[in-house]
Amino acid sequence: MGFWEPLFFWIFAVGAVVTSLGVLTFRNPLYSALSLIADFFCFASLYALLSAHFLAITQVLVYAGAIMVLFVFIIMLLNLTEADLGQRQFSLHHILAWVGGIAVFAFTVSTILPLIPTDQVESNRAEARAAGESPRNQSVSTMSTIPGLYADLSESALEARYRDKIRSWSQGESSPADGKYRPFLSDRDFTIPPAMEPGTGQEGRAPRSRSEEQRQGLFGTVEPVSILLVNRFVVPFELTAILLLAAIMGAVIIAKKRL
Amino acid sequence: MTWEPTLAHYLILAAGTFSIGVIGVMVRRNALTLFMCIELMLNSVNLTFIAFSKYRVDLDGHIFSFFVMAVAAAEAAVGLAIILHIFRHYRSVNVDEVRQLKN
Repeated sequence: MGFWEPLFFWIFAVGAVVTSLGVLTFRNPLYSALSLIADFFCFASLYALLSAHFLAITQVLVYAGAIMVLFVFIIMLLNLTEADLGQRQFSLHHILAWVGGIAVFAFTVSTILPLIPTDQVESNRAEARAAGESPRNQSVSTMSTIPGLYADLSESALEARYRDKIRSWSQGESSPADGKYRPFLSDRDFTIPPAMEPGTGQEGRAPRSRSEEQRQGLFGTVEPVSILLVNRFVVPFELTAILLLAAIMGAVIIAKKRL
Repeated sequence: MTWEPTLAHYLILAAGTFSIGVIGVMVRRNALTLFMCIELMLNSVNLTFIAFSKYRVDLDGHIFSFFVMAVAAAEAAVGLAIILHIFRHYRSVNVDEVRQLKN
């Protein structure tokens, strides 16, 4: 694994935690909002590190661009004064809230992170290397209930796993349609329309054959996500439109002077 | 723990930011900050979705995160409208002072 990828992960992970703490410690909601915008940018960077390029851009556009502008707009519209913000006070309530939050964190971490010696992870990786296998491809066996909790999430690990999937497709062990482009009737054959096949711009033209390397670059970009969105998840996608319409109408009606 | 980011790193990070959101919802009394903390929690859940998505080389997690974002946008629009209305009625956005649903 490279040097930059872990470095960027740590930079943005620490940034995300610090700015999240900023959201709840700033007394002025405007500072909280600005901190949250920085937080959303950190999250977008983490999404990009996880090869979710489409979602990283969507995060910036929708969250940092639309939702936070709405927040800042409302904050400025309300024009809260010092008196409205109230005094910062510490009480038993706050202490209990912090204890409760830390308990939530401890409980979550203790369920996802059983006590595993780090050297076991390292030795498993070394074993895989010695056996001539790619250690990135090898999910390290742990005591955890999630297999491969310590699996690498680097770009090369993704490529290795993706290549394995493509190989199993080409050898006929599984089909690309497995759980993806499933027809509504399971006994009916379903082929991806040429226009939907990644890489073809025009309908009717035979799908351009893509090399494995090109296919790997596709994970998480607009093409595969949109193909999934308008095929398998087309009903929830359309329902989202109805939801947004209802939300717009609801917001307008609620915000009117006379309810 | 290793220096290289693994699935566990992302899950712990998401758990941490989610807990910060939970603490914020319990500590803060300002309705606007409360909403921001809820957005924070939604985001950290998105992070787990995407981390698992990459781990499984499966794009379903991305789709789920996309829908979460859409729902968050709708929720923010309606929620802020409600906050605006509450402010007009009570001249305050402190959630402790809002005790009545009607009148």
